[in-house]
Amino acid sequence: MHILEVNNLKKVYTTRFGGNKVQALSNVSFSVEKGEYVAIMGESGSGKTTLLNILAALDKPTSGEVLLNGKNIGEIKEKEISAFRRDNLGFVFQDFNLLDTFSIQDNIFLPLVLAGETHLEMNKRLLPIARQLEITPILGKYPYEVSGGEKQRAAVARALITRPQLVLADEPTGALDSRATAALLKLFTEINDQGQTILMVTHSIQAASHGKRVLFIKDGEVFHQLYRTSLSTQEMYQRISDTLTTIATGGERRA
Amino acid sequence: MPRFFYQTLALNNLKKNSQTYRAYLLTCIGTICMYFVLHSISVNQALNEISGGAQLKILLFFGVIVIGIFSTIFLLYTNSFLIKRRKKEFGLFNILGMEKRHLAKVMFWENLFTALFGLTVGIVSGMILSKLMFLVLLKLIAFKVPLAFEIPFSSISTSVALFGGIFALSLLYNLGQIQLAKPIELLRGEQVGEREPRTKWLLILLGTVTLGLGYTIALTTESPLQAFSRFFGAVLLVMVGTYCLFTAGSVGVLKLLRRNKNYYYQPRHFTAVSGLLFRMKQNAVGLANICILSTAVLVTLSTTFALYVGVEDQLRNRFPRSIDIVVYDVENTDMGELRAHVFPILERHAVQPQELLDFRNLTITVAQEGDSFLVGREYFSDFSPNVGFLSFLTLADYQKIVNKPLALQEDEVIICSDTNYPYETLTVLEQTFTVKEQGTPFTGQGYLDSFNSYFVIVKDLEILGELHKAQAKVYGENASSFTHYLGFELESTPQQQLDIYKEIRASIANPAVDINSRAAERDSFYMLYGGLFFIGIFLGTLFLMGTVLIIYYKQITEGYDDQKRFVIMQQVGMDQAEVKRTIRSQVLMVFFLPLVTAGIHVLFAFKMISKLLGVFNLTNIALFAWCCVGTFIVFGLFYGLVYACTARVYYKIVSV
Repeated sequence: MHILEVNNLKKVYTTRFGGNKVQALSNVSFSVEKGEYVAIMGESGSGKTTLLNILAALDKPTSGEVLLNGKNIGEIKEKEISAFRRDNLGFVFQDFNLLDTFSIQDNIFLPLVLAGETHLEMNKRLLPIARQLEITPILGKYPYEVSGGEKQRAAVARALITRPQLVLADEPTGALDSRATAALLKLFTEINDQGQTILMVTHSIQAASHGKRVLFIKDGEVFHQLYRTSLSTQEMYQRISDTLTTIATGGERRA
Repeated sequence: MPRFFYQTLALNNLKKNSQTYRAYLLTCIGTICMYFVLHSISVNQALNEISGGAQLKILLFFGVIVIGIFSTIFLLYTNSFLIKRRKKEFGLFNILGMEKRHLAKVMFWENLFTALFGLTVGIVSGMILSKLMFLVLLKLIAFKVPLAFEIPFSSISTSVALFGGIFALSLLYNLGQIQLAKPIELLRGEQVGEREPRTKWLLILLGTVTLGLGYTIALTTESPLQAFSRFFGAVLLVMVGTYCLFTAGSVGVLKLLRRNKNYYYQPRHFTAVSGLLFRMKQNAVGLANICILSTAVLVTLSTTFALYVGVEDQLRNRFPRSIDIVVYDVENTDMGELRAHVFPILERHAVQPQELLDFRNLTITVAQEGDSFLVGREYFSDFSPNVGFLSFLTLADYQKIVNKPLALQEDEVIICSDTNYPYETLTVLEQTFTVKEQGTPFTGQGYLDSFNSYFVIVKDLEILGELHKAQAKVYGENASSFTHYLGFELESTPQQQLDIYKEIRASIANPAVDINSRAAERDSFYMLYGGLFFIGIFLGTLFLMGTVLIIYYKQITEGYDDQKRFVIMQQVGMDQAEVKRTIRSQVLMVFFLPLVTAGIHVLFAFKMISKLLGVFNLTNIALFAWCCVGTFIVFGLFYGLVYACTARVYYKIVSV
């Protein structure tokens, strides 16, 4: 069953005074199965962020549709969109986006508090997640007191605590050092193994090589895709690298 | 390098930062204008021609000094705020290759342009307004003859000197800020990691104690003299308490709220409590400033307004009769002589003396302890709270005043006072009298009303004489002697009353005789209270401007700080409406906390201030209460208006 279906997505930005039109997405279609771990790759300006914003219902497409669990998110009323986002999607950002007025624990609780959960339920959900992400000791600290890797793990915990249909990660390793990056990617694989669907946008080959499938976007279109099947991470890294070279040097389209 | 490079750059910078500089420029213009107006009136030559004009000028000059001091504080504060916001900009210039001395040049031109613009517009608008305000002042002091008003050159030069000096100081401060900073620090500017505020229990304790003490003093002050000596102490205590509680107390309360999990983890409280916690850390001092300034505005305006509105009351309290004559140091007790002197003058003017008060009395300084009154220097210092006067009258004189037959035994007295005398006996100079009844309060010599003092009616002259001898033994050469008092109401024009007054004055050339005419004193009363009200308006406006300024800049700073925070909240699933609601509740809280606290301060100070006003013969408490309420409402409306305007700026910043 498709958990996410993207059909003929098109997005055109018009500059403020109406003069120039910029086509960010020209025609994007793909689907994600439940339990998949999909990485979307592309260079800067290829439309990755636009795509993610549309998937997150933060932006509206010019044409085309996005179905989450068969429900068209373009048709959700403005008033319900925040609740929809809160209940169905979990976000992990490049620069963590933790609020420095909250302790790590309260940052993780934030979406649950907004959803009106009881304090008991929050604690019940937090414990296993905190244990798995190894952030139990820092729960009482504030974001400015912990390392980048810890912040990102806290952000992951915040994304997971609502038990979302889909975790959307935007360049999650972008601000981390190599050790923290490796740890976070291992964590993503683990979570995915437990059945969590993940969609990650990145231009790091290392990050993408952990995905089960890699989509390449170029000039607003899905240019190519790679399935991992039985490849090791090492081999996947090589394949992605080759593909990127091909794309960069203007190879034939094979998708 | 193009010509006028630095000048152009400076102008562009000002334009680019117009959102913050506009308010600064307006403040410059406003303070310069106010300073100029008050100064030009205070040095005006024409005021010398009015009687009492010299005192009025001193009063105005005092106002000029206060305005000068506060203008300096406000402008320097605003400047420091502006520079803090622009550190990043300077860091960028620095990295792009401008040296610090180039930055200093840009800074110099920016300051010069601001100063020139502020001084020009401020002084020109001051010139236009000063004429108008001079007329307002003349109206307030009820002066009817039109006076010439010319703009004195000295006002221009002092304004330029003072505010030029302030601008120079600002420039020096800014240069110091640039000189001290390293480029990377300039770039980072304001993003210094925020730590969670700690609860400072000691400060909370100190704040609670000082505030409680201040309030207690204000509430337990009974006599005006006490009020005088304690007022500034109480004000100081309340100020300290306000600062402590705003800074530490607010954090303490919020942390307690946070500890209550069921309260804290609710959508409405969650973001508000944690947001406020950090907000209070940055803003507590600013809010305490706003609170104290607001209190100052409320007190200044309500007291000066009440004094001005009640001026006729005060006049009547201080001078209960149209004309009163007091003859001190009378050896004999014959009262006919004075009457024989005065009444023919009234007859010549064909007026009848009415509501005649005609008595002799003996006034002794005493220290009250319950129902006994101690006589002797050793029992009181000048400001001890129990000091008062006992003024003894004979029954015969009293009967003439109240116009009804009464009888007294030798050991009986009647007590007349506005304040209740709760005891059954009265002991003074080793004699104990039984209080037969509380008599009708009649207004005698004005000062007796101000302090907690009593008129005591004794049986006859013989007892009066005994008391006189007894106190003379104690006080020696400082002893009191008998006083004759003759006062009457006249139904005639003020001019005729003045004529009669002058004639009586001329005919009694004795320095031990005090002659007062209400008509003659009216001018000086209007001069004093009109002048006070006039300055009150100026100071009130200035403080209001300061309050508005602080509020405005607080909002902007917070807007920039909150911008990122609210973007994140929307990403994790808070909708626009919720974001707005959260902002509103936090901003409302931060905004109206100082106003509410100021209101509470005034409420507690009310009793003490009304006692103080008693010294100025304002006894109409209801009038003062209404003035307070009125001022509070007007101020609140103004405050709300400012809130609405700045909240719009805030939303604009946050919703980018």
